[in-house]
Amino acid sequence: MNVLLAVPVVVPLLGAAAALLMRRAPRLQQGVAVAALAAVVAVTGLLLRATADGTVLAGQAGAWRAPLGITVVADPLSALMLAVSAVVLLVVQLFAIGQDIAGLSRAMPQVFHPIYLVLTAGVCLSFLAGDLFNLFVGFEMMLTASYALITQAPTRARVRASMIYTVVSLTSSILFLTGIALVYGLTGTVNLADVAVKLGSAPEELRMVLALLFLVVFGIKAALVPMHFWLPDSYPVAITRISAIFAALLTKVAVYAIIRTQTLLFGRDDITAVLLCIAVATMVVGIFGAMVQDDINRLMSFALVSHIGFMIFGLGLNSVAGLAGVIVYLVHHIVVQAGLFLVNGLIRQYVGHSSLRAMRGLNTVSPVLSVYFFLPAMSLAGLPPMSGFVAKAALFQAAVGAGGWPVYTALAAGVATSLLTVIAVFRVWVRGFWGTPMPDMVEARERLKRGSHLGGLRVMATMTGVMVAAGLAVAAAAGPLSELAFVAAHDLLNGSAYIEAVLGEGAR
Amino acid sequence: MTDDDAAPGRPAPGRAEGEWGRADRSGAPPENWEAPRERWLSTGVRPAFGPRSVLLEVAARLLTPAILTFAVFLLVSGHDRPGGGFAGGLVASMAYVLRYIAGGRHELAAGMPLRPNTLLAAGLLVACGTAAAPLLAGHPVLKVYSYTAHLPVFGKVKFASYLLFESGVFLIVVGLVLSVVAALGARMEAEEEEVRDRRRRGAAGREGGAQ
Repeated sequence: MNVLLAVPVVVPLLGAAAALLMRRAPRLQQGVAVAALAAVVAVTGLLLRATADGTVLAGQAGAWRAPLGITVVADPLSALMLAVSAVVLLVVQLFAIGQDIAGLSRAMPQVFHPIYLVLTAGVCLSFLAGDLFNLFVGFEMMLTASYALITQAPTRARVRASMIYTVVSLTSSILFLTGIALVYGLTGTVNLADVAVKLGSAPEELRMVLALLFLVVFGIKAALVPMHFWLPDSYPVAITRISAIFAALLTKVAVYAIIRTQTLLFGRDDITAVLLCIAVATMVVGIFGAMVQDDINRLMSFALVSHIGFMIFGLGLNSVAGLAGVIVYLVHHIVVQAGLFLVNGLIRQYVGHSSLRAMRGLNTVSPVLSVYFFLPAMSLAGLPPMSGFVAKAALFQAAVGAGGWPVYTALAAGVATSLLTVIAVFRVWVRGFWGTPMPDMVEARERLKRGSHLGGLRVMATMTGVMVAAGLAVAAAAGPLSELAFVAAHDLLNGSAYIEAVLGEGAR
Repeated sequence: MTDDDAAPGRPAPGRAEGEWGRADRSGAPPENWEAPRERWLSTGVRPAFGPRSVLLEVAARLLTPAILTFAVFLLVSGHDRPGGGFAGGLVASMAYVLRYIAGGRHELAAGMPLRPNTLLAAGLLVACGTAAAPLLAGHPVLKVYSYTAHLPVFGKVKFASYLLFESGVFLIVVGLVLSVVAALGARMEAEEEEVRDRRRRGAAGREGGAQ
């Protein structure tokens, strides 16, 4: 079992090293990078199968006993997140390779592949980390790689965006380290399971302070209002493959960390009011921001912020059903968001820009593209029978089950946000896809068709199609997915399975 | 270009500072070498910033072996005492930074035949390879195998596989610092030099046109 836990981190890093050595042989480099990610997809699939019944797998690096060494843990939640992330990472990587073959990107592939693999390792380590410090290391690997990735194909706007992004992320990292130091000072350990046991006897106020501190730390990375301002400024500016993977994964890793720390480590009842307030603010502010945007990518980034609110809402319900809803929502949102950003990239490729004002008649320019946009957009808006509907239905059902006026207020905000999302995405649809196409858009499309880009473009379009199809698959597999989500949510709220797997029987 | 222009040291009379010292790839000391008379560094000296400093050159020459030795000491002793691959790598890379400051990017290139990216890749391979190797034998990741030997002079010496891992970290750190130096120092230096050359050529062209 230990092999399964180690591979998602070790193999991408080895792949990164090999890809770095093969700078001069682009084909070989692409092959190695794809092989590394394919291995991760396979192994995370096996991990998911091994944990699907609620089993928690724990591995101790170097065979050190639990609170001392590096612990890696896979419970159903982390295995599910790993599997979904690995698939998305692979698809986006293939999209990027298609773009490189088409010669449509100024990104340096020889730099992109190694750093992308390091990002993969960081994401995997964050999901697997069984102690706070390795969670920090995973985050840092992911973030350091993202600092380099966000300035790929540098322009003035990208460098400016990367400054904001880096400064904000470093601030969150410093707070994270402070939090780890405080936890260590209080409990004498950083192992999550051990901290969970020892925090139980800590003073109530200190626990509350730590819970809030970690909420801020991960809240910055998850772009919770009022700590969201950096996201719509930085993500849309990066090149397509990067903004797709950032929007799909990085914020979700932070949401995962919020779920993990708030459920396992801290008292659960005392913070739900705060979570609900933040959830409402995030949903409402995000979607209002999205409704007035002109740039499609910026619009989607605000919608991303808004929909993070739904996940925090589910966490704030503090019930198995609520958490299960969050988990379904996470899976749905990762896949759909990646699909939407890839489609936006294709639009940018076809018409040369992403401004709604100068866009009309995309339906005529490329019917396939409009289908690719329509499906995930409707899913994001939460129309049945898409995955967004399944996820929102699960959340709202849990909210009705929980009851109480704060929950109903948040529920009302959630329903309103869903409606406003429909308006926001239909605004894109009506403005950009209907009508007679602008002449320069047709010209750009023709130029693209005539050029030597066709083979690569086909790969890009296929991968976008795969991502869109994956979004549909989430809806189709809603039954098994929600079963799995309930198993994971039960493990999360129970906590003892996790603690026993790490510390051994009778630890609590 | 006459030899005068290639002479490092002081700026030739009547020339603006910043023009002196073309890149000297020959490695041989120029003939009208004035100060210092010894060759302290391995390339024709042209420091990265400001005028040439004898003190810095001598210091770089004398300190480099000592710094590198100390770095290896830190690497080896780091198992259960302060040190380790990270600290050792930082110290070792400081030796190269010192050489760069004293002698410019050609000196840096002469002192380190490997590209920073290659160092990074090699380090990552060694470190991850060592971490993953126990998996093949069915042990957990990062398991340390150690062997204690009794050597005639040194007494009891412990060889442990962590040293390989730490060496990987060492290489990564050196590679990282060198790539920072290459990106923020050497490449900017090269670009500035190019701009300067172009400007000089442009000025010469204009003079030629006037004649």
